[in-house]
Amino acid sequence: MNGAQNGKQAIPPAWTRIFKTHPSIPLLIVLIAGFSIIFPKRFLTPMNLSSILGQFVTIILFALGPSMVATIGSLDLSYVGIWMLGGMLVWHLTPSLGIFAILIYPLLGFLTGLMVGTIQVKAKVPSFILTLSLLAAYSGLTSILSGGYPRMVRGYEFLTGELIPRVPTALFWTIPLIVIAIYLMRGTKIGTYLYAIGSNEEGARLAGINVNRYKILTFVMSGLFTGIGSIIQFQHLGGSVPLSLNMNTMTMPLVAIVFGGTLLTGGSGGPDRTILGTLAFVVLYRGLYISLINPEILQLIVGLLLVLSIVVASRGLRGVSIT
Amino acid sequence: MATSTLSRWFHGNVGMVTSVIAAIAIIAIFQIINPFFLSPQGRVTLVYAMSYFLIVACGLTFVIMIGSFDFSVVSMLKLGAIICALYIDDLGLMVIPLALLACTAMGFINGLLFAKFKVPSFLATLGMSMVIEGIALYLSRGFLHIISNRAFRSIAVTFIAGLPSIFYWALAIWGVCIFIALATPFGRQIYAIGGNPTAASLCGINVVKKRIYVFMLSGFLSGLAGILYMAQFGGGSIEMGADMSIPLFASVIAGGTSLAGGTGGPQRTILGVILITWTQAGMSMNAIGHDIQLVVFALIAIGMSILTANRKTMSIVK
Amino acid sequence: MRTDIPIVELKGVNKTFGGVVQALSDVSIGIYKNEVVGVVGENGAGKSTLMKILAGVYPPDQGEWYYTGTKTTFPKNPKEAAKRGVGIVYQEKGVIPALKVYQYLFLGHEDKYVHNTKLDIEQMKTFAKKTLNEFHIDCDIETFMYDLPPSTQKMIEIAKAILSLRLEQGDNDAVSVIILDEPTAPLNLEERQELFNYILKMKKTTSFVLVSHIMHEVLEFTDRIYVLRDGELVDHYNLSEEEVTEKDLFKAIVGKDFIEDTAAHETIDYTNEEIVLSAKDLTRNGSYYDISFDLHKGEGIGFFGPAGSGKSEIIKTIAGILNYDKGSLIVGEKKADTRELPHVRLIKGIGYFCGETEKQLFFNWTVRKNISIVNIEKILQKRFPVLNYNTEKKMAEKIVDTFKIKTPSIETDCQSLSGGNKQKISVGKWFERRPDILLLEDPTIGIDVGARKDIFEALLELKRKGVSIILVSDDPKEYTTLCNKIITLKGGRIQKVLGNQEFREVIAT
Repeated sequence: MNGAQNGKQAIPPAWTRIFKTHPSIPLLIVLIAGFSIIFPKRFLTPMNLSSILGQFVTIILFALGPSMVATIGSLDLSYVGIWMLGGMLVWHLTPSLGIFAILIYPLLGFLTGLMVGTIQVKAKVPSFILTLSLLAAYSGLTSILSGGYPRMVRGYEFLTGELIPRVPTALFWTIPLIVIAIYLMRGTKIGTYLYAIGSNEEGARLAGINVNRYKILTFVMSGLFTGIGSIIQFQHLGGSVPLSLNMNTMTMPLVAIVFGGTLLTGGSGGPDRTILGTLAFVVLYRGLYISLINPEILQLIVGLLLVLSIVVASRGLRGVSIT
Repeated sequence: MATSTLSRWFHGNVGMVTSVIAAIAIIAIFQIINPFFLSPQGRVTLVYAMSYFLIVACGLTFVIMIGSFDFSVVSMLKLGAIICALYIDDLGLMVIPLALLACTAMGFINGLLFAKFKVPSFLATLGMSMVIEGIALYLSRGFLHIISNRAFRSIAVTFIAGLPSIFYWALAIWGVCIFIALATPFGRQIYAIGGNPTAASLCGINVVKKRIYVFMLSGFLSGLAGILYMAQFGGGSIEMGADMSIPLFASVIAGGTSLAGGTGGPQRTILGVILITWTQAGMSMNAIGHDIQLVVFALIAIGMSILTANRKTMSIVK
Repeated sequence: MRTDIPIVELKGVNKTFGGVVQALSDVSIGIYKNEVVGVVGENGAGKSTLMKILAGVYPPDQGEWYYTGTKTTFPKNPKEAAKRGVGIVYQEKGVIPALKVYQYLFLGHEDKYVHNTKLDIEQMKTFAKKTLNEFHIDCDIETFMYDLPPSTQKMIEIAKAILSLRLEQGDNDAVSVIILDEPTAPLNLEERQELFNYILKMKKTTSFVLVSHIMHEVLEFTDRIYVLRDGELVDHYNLSEEEVTEKDLFKAIVGKDFIEDTAAHETIDYTNEEIVLSAKDLTRNGSYYDISFDLHKGEGIGFFGPAGSGKSEIIKTIAGILNYDKGSLIVGEKKADTRELPHVRLIKGIGYFCGETEKQLFFNWTVRKNISIVNIEKILQKRFPVLNYNTEKKMAEKIVDTFKIKTPSIETDCQSLSGGNKQKISVGKWFERRPDILLLEDPTIGIDVGARKDIFEALLELKRKGVSIILVSDDPKEYTTLCNKIITLKGGRIQKVLGNQEFREVIAT
């Protein structure tokens, strides 16, 4: 279930089913075909494909954790914050901790997830408000800790040193993360429980599931994945973190999740869908970029895509109360 | 008897009481640290900080009253401001209705997506905020634009009784918002929809239509705030209003309008606005960095959300 | 009388809430092998309390529990209940739509199929297929629950409950008692039949407790019936030994106070008045078929029938809460389109009042605002569309006075008032609004006798003023008080149209 390639080469009866449950596959095929035909010289170049993979890595590293949170119907917007604040903390702690400073990332992710999960469950604060505010807080903290200057962290270049030409090395670090995420959601009971909670929280409780515990666990997992992913992300993006929040960085993973077919009300989707959604989104984005549209329009289009894909996805929400 | 009603009121309004105490404490603290705070010049700074903010906060208040959320208010503010900056030379003061129209139209789209197409409001407005930003960016090309039109600027910066005119405009608009909320059928219906949408429909309220109106109102007020903002500052770029979202949200919640909907209102929002904007101004006056402010407001937002959260065990919060 | 040992037996169960409300007093029940036991009673009679005690939601204050003859403690949670042979299928919210059948069947028991952390999905699927076979359910285990029809979902819920019992006890042949809480409520007529056929088949290996207020279902599909009233076990019927009719059952449930209504009721002929509402061949698939009637001005029509006869769906359709699939509905001169929302129906003159106050009132609002929201046009200033607080205050005071609503003031929050007074506020606001047609669904459910009398008088007053009424309820007294014409329903179709006098005669027998 790991990409368009699998879908195409599987046995006929199975692949029609995959097409139905993973709508982004036909979309992906259409996009790749379309752009290849319209801009053969610019789209099918090694450089462009390299950029596609690079952007794919960036987005998926941020989107993996939140895609799991989306299955319980919540939203985790803290990922950029973890990346920024973690990076700044790494810079501060490298002198004293050396190479182990990088472990701050998963630690921060874990603690963030624990905090968000506990507050969400005990104090009943809606997750998007909570994680958005936390994102702002982390962003501010990053800025405070930076002393006003972007900080470079050296010593981790080995993570993304070039292995295969044109293929971002980060991809090789990313694949195991993706595999683990998919395994958790589809191969263990954790995934089943999360889908159950997202689909019918009351019913899950009646079936004996400790809903509170699993909700907190989801946020912890999300934080951990983002934290570990940030280790790769950090070097993949040049070894320093920005001082201020970039809206694009924040929303693109969200768009990728929705593109993949994960209903944000819970009960469906997850990392496997998000892979495809990310791929589809990145191909679309690069294709538009190649066609040399005004960069400002590009952002507008991303916003429109988000809106459109949510409208399409929301058509299945009959009987659910929307606020 | 009296004490039990009092204690029940207290428990139902913990958030607001906290805000009042916090506001008084903040004012006292800042004044002690730096007497400039409440000096005639200091007051002007405070007023400049809160005026446009109050207007856009009122817009957000109406949306939260129906139990929804509007992420795009800051984007609409920017759009309104940029339209003024860009076209004032060609259109003079006619930019004002143009900006209002544009922002109200955006609000209409928000409302349509939510009420008609059933897109969750925070997602619809999040997406729309990107679209609106994109439009604003495209129109302004990212440049800083300055306004030299005296008449336009005089809307905000004419001094009356020691305070700039924008303050009086803000108070007047705030007064109109209170009027809408408390004295019109529409206002009553907003509370009804926020309190119990099923019952509201059974009571004859066209829930879909009114929800769209509320988002249009939010757009209108955001655009209005943008116009006043531009009149106050005399110029701006796409970077305007950065990091305004969290303080905005915090001020509405801190004032006493619950995220669950059906309570609160613009009359409460002024309390939160004073708390937030005066804290912001006070911190700036004492050279506390923008980043620290951001952290403080994020924590206030989280804290107030916890205090005012819907604790009824039957409701499921995601 | 059965001579074998019951699977589960409860003796002398007492349960009080808050030291005040005696929910159950000295109740004893037993469930034997291969039987379906019905438990019936009014709302508040203690049915759900008893079932919750059985299911392990909470223990009683006093009582004894015997499992296959051996005394044991009361369960403190559902897992312990399962160990004592009891599982429960809830009325709603039991199904998880996004899960596949095999995932749902084993939800909560995955540990039995886990090696290290990995789920053995193949084993789960194989066992799921075996289970569905055993339980005679015909469906693909890979299907998502949301793709299944409601009756199949219920059957799978039952299978899951039985499975859970076996897994908890570690015994594939564990004797089980499955409580079915109003299982047919979400099902349509065909689906109900399917479900009961299934239950009868399952009876060979599992016993069931059927909690229901659909009397004909209870009479047709159970072997014994327990009747609860006001927390006490007032009757027990063994259907293999005695003939029991719906009327007998009804009398046992409701008690002696029956039909003694005294509200003066005119025998005016309304057929000469104008027609305010007309339904022709109104059909909603799965709920009601070919409903046709005319409602005249000032007339009261009641739709009478057991739960599941379609009466609730009919009145909700007229209110705009549900759609109809075929036929037509005409209000006054205008056609009422099937997709109209309730507020449009209200504009056309149809108001909907139901006994469930959560759907009618705004609990975070004061009495005053709850009354005025439906009457906004009346409280506006003379020349501007602005609220007139004075008029509003006077309106609220008038209503509170007229209906003798017990409240400290009109500024009190609705939430703090008693159920009966809440209902009165609801009635009061409609009284003030005076729509052309007022739909009533369970208008006096759960209210004390005094408040009921007041509400009846108010409704009759409205009728005298020309308001037409359509009533749906479970209480015959309401029909005899308020309706000139009673339409009886069975299986979603009109059986008979009776006049008020005829109806009284039918009921008295």
